[in-house]
Amino acid sequence: MWNKSPAVLGGVAAAVLCTSVQAEPTTYPLTIENCGQQVTFAKAPERTVALGQNSAEILLLLGLEDRMAATAFWPNKVLPELEAANSKVEVLTVEFPTLEAVLSKQPDFVPAMLVTLMGPDSKVAKREDFEGLGIPTYLSPSACSTTDTTTDAYGSRDKLWRMDLLYKEIDDLSRIFDVADRGQALIADFKAREAALRQEFAKKDNLTFLFWFSSPSPADDAYLGGGNGPSGYIADLLGGTNAIQTDAEWPTLGWEGIMAANPTVFVAAQVDRNRWDLDDAKTKVAFLNSDPTVSQMEAVKSGRIVVMSGAAMNPSIRTLYGAEELASQLKTLDLP
Amino acid sequence: MTPSDETGSGAGWLALFLVLVLAVLAFAVALATAIGDYSIGLRTVTLAITNGLGLTGADIPPIEESVVWDLRLSRALVAALAGAGLAICGAILQALLRNALAEPFVLGVSAGASTGAVCVIVLGIGAGSLSLSAGAFAGAFAAFALVAILSNGATSGPNHTILAGVAASQLFNALTSYVVTTSGNAQQARDVMFWLLGSFGGVRWPDFQLLCAVVICGLAICLWMARALDAFTFGDEDAAALGVPVARIRLILFAVTAMMTATIVSMVGSIGFVGLVVPHAARHVVGPLHLRLLPACAAVGAVFMVLADIASRVIVAQQTIPIGVVTALVGVPFFAIILYRSRPQT
Repeated sequence: MWNKSPAVLGGVAAAVLCTSVQAEPTTYPLTIENCGQQVTFAKAPERTVALGQNSAEILLLLGLEDRMAATAFWPNKVLPELEAANSKVEVLTVEFPTLEAVLSKQPDFVPAMLVTLMGPDSKVAKREDFEGLGIPTYLSPSACSTTDTTTDAYGSRDKLWRMDLLYKEIDDLSRIFDVADRGQALIADFKAREAALRQEFAKKDNLTFLFWFSSPSPADDAYLGGGNGPSGYIADLLGGTNAIQTDAEWPTLGWEGIMAANPTVFVAAQVDRNRWDLDDAKTKVAFLNSDPTVSQMEAVKSGRIVVMSGAAMNPSIRTLYGAEELASQLKTLDLP
Repeated sequence: MTPSDETGSGAGWLALFLVLVLAVLAFAVALATAIGDYSIGLRTVTLAITNGLGLTGADIPPIEESVVWDLRLSRALVAALAGAGLAICGAILQALLRNALAEPFVLGVSAGASTGAVCVIVLGIGAGSLSLSAGAFAGAFAAFALVAILSNGATSGPNHTILAGVAASQLFNALTSYVVTTSGNAQQARDVMFWLLGSFGGVRWPDFQLLCAVVICGLAICLWMARALDAFTFGDEDAAALGVPVARIRLILFAVTAMMTATIVSMVGSIGFVGLVVPHAARHVVGPLHLRLLPACAAVGAVFMVLADIASRVIVAQQTIPIGVVTALVGVPFFAIILYRSRPQT
C-alpha cells in the first residue's frame, strides 16, 4: 500500500483509511500508560484540542479532523496534503495558547507535543488542570521527562534520533480514538517508506550533508542541524552522515567552520516563520552562489545544493517527509 | 529627601490613600476574575467565587467554576502579591543602597534564578525530583550569597554592593548562556527562555499560599525596621551615630529582599519596572518615611500588577503578552507624567 514517489504520498491519509490492516477494536474504558501516568478514557474523544503541530498533524494523518475542536502552536505551515483537513479545525493561535482559550472549546481530550505546552512547569497548563475536570490528557512520548531529564526530550544526544517514539505516539493515539487499524496502517506506511529509502541509498563512506536551518544575517554564525538530531537521522537514512558532529541539537557555526566541514551536499532549509531574510531557502541558495568565499566550496561549485522544509529538522513526523524531499533531489545530483 | 512632611495630617492622608488604593485593588481583582478568553457571565463568576468561599453551593458548570476560581482568582491574587513584594523590595534597596536606580534584581537574584532554572532543565540536576521553581530559588539565593560575600557581609558601602551585584549578574548570565549554548538542545533553550519571560500563566492556589506567607512576613520585618531605614537615607555614618547597627540591619534587610525576590522570580519569572518605579511614585504621594512608604508601595504595586496582568491577557486574544512588556508599556507613560510634574521649578 505504500508509494515510492513523494508526489503520490499526498494520498496517505486516504490510503490509510481504506487499508485492510486489522487491529483490535478499542474497548472502553481504556487505560493507557503515558509518561509514567495512567490515563483512562471512558469513550473515544469527540472534542479534542491538540496542543502542538506534531500532535495535530498525527491526528489529521489518522483522519480525525471531525473529532478535533481546535489546535494551537504551529511553528511551521501544515503538511500540504493535510491542508484541506486542517482548514476544518479552528486554530486558536500559532503561538502558545492560554489555558482559558483551550478550556473554552470544552475539550474532552487534550494531547500535547511539548512539556512547555503541558507539564509541571508549563505556563500554559498542567496535566492536573485538565484531569481535575475529568478531561484526559496525553503527552508526546518524545517529550516525556519521567526519570532522566538530561538525556530526555528527543532521545539522548549521544545516540542517533529514531522514529520509534513517534510510532508509539501514533499507536497510542489511534487506540484512544478506536482507529487502531488506521494507526497500524500509518506506522506500517512510515516504516515501509523508511526502509525503502534505506534500501535505495546504500551507505557511502564519504557522503556528508550539512543542514543549514537559518541565520540572522550572512555575517552571523549559521544555525545548523546538529550531529545526532533529526538532521543526522535524515543523513543516515540517505546513506551519508551529518557533516556536523556536535552533541548540541542546534549548534551555531561560522562560515570558516562550515567550509572546514566541507560537506558533499548542502541542505538549505525552507523555514516558514519569516523572522530573518535567510529563513527563505531561495535567499540561502542565492547567498551560497554569490558569496565570493562560500561559493568556492566544492558542494556549491558543483551545484550540490538541495532544499528541504525546515519542519523536518524538528523531531516530528515531518522528518521522514524531509528525507523523502531530499531523496528525490539527490537522485538528480552528480555525486562524487 | 527630608522628612519635612512628617506632620499629624500625614497619617490621615496615608489612611485615606490606603483605603482608596485597597478599594481600587478589590475592584481590579474582581475585574480580573470577570475577564478572559473563556466568556463567562457575571452571575456565574460571582457564584463561582461565593462557591469557592463556601458561601453558596450553586450548581454551575464545573469547567467555568474552575476557570474563575482556580485560574483567574488565584492568578489575580498572586499578581497582587508579586506586585506588592517587588515594590517593597525596590523601596528597601533604594534606601539601603542610597541609589534611585536600585531595584529588586540589583543583587543578581534574577540572573541566579535563570542559572538555577537552566541547571534543572538542561543539566537535569535533581533528576526530575527538583522542580524548576526550586532550582530557580536555589540559584537566586546562590547569587545573593555571592553578592553578600563579595560585599564583605554588607559592611562595605552601597556602591561596593551594587558593583558586587553587577558582577554576580554578569557571572550568572554567562553561566546560563554557556550551559544553553553548549549542552542544550533547541527545545530546552526555548523552554528556558519561555520560562524566564515573566508570566502568571502557571500559578495556582499553592503558589498563592506560599507567596502570601513570604510577602506578609517580609513586609512585617521591613515595617519593624522602618525607622532604621529612614536613618540609612542620611548615610551609614549618620545612621550609626543615631544608634542603628548598620551592618546587621543591612544584612537582614538584604536577606529579606532576596528571599522575597527569589520567591517571586522562581514563581512567575523576572518582571521588571514595578520594583523600580512604584517606590518613586509612592514616595511622590506619601513622602519618604518608610513607615508610610512601605504600605503605600505594597498597595500601589499590587494594583499596578493586577491591572498589567489583565492588560497582558486581553491585548491579544487567546495568547498572553509577557507581563514585563506590559508593565513597561503601561508604566513608563504613567511614570513620565510623575517625572514631568515633579521637575525642579526654575
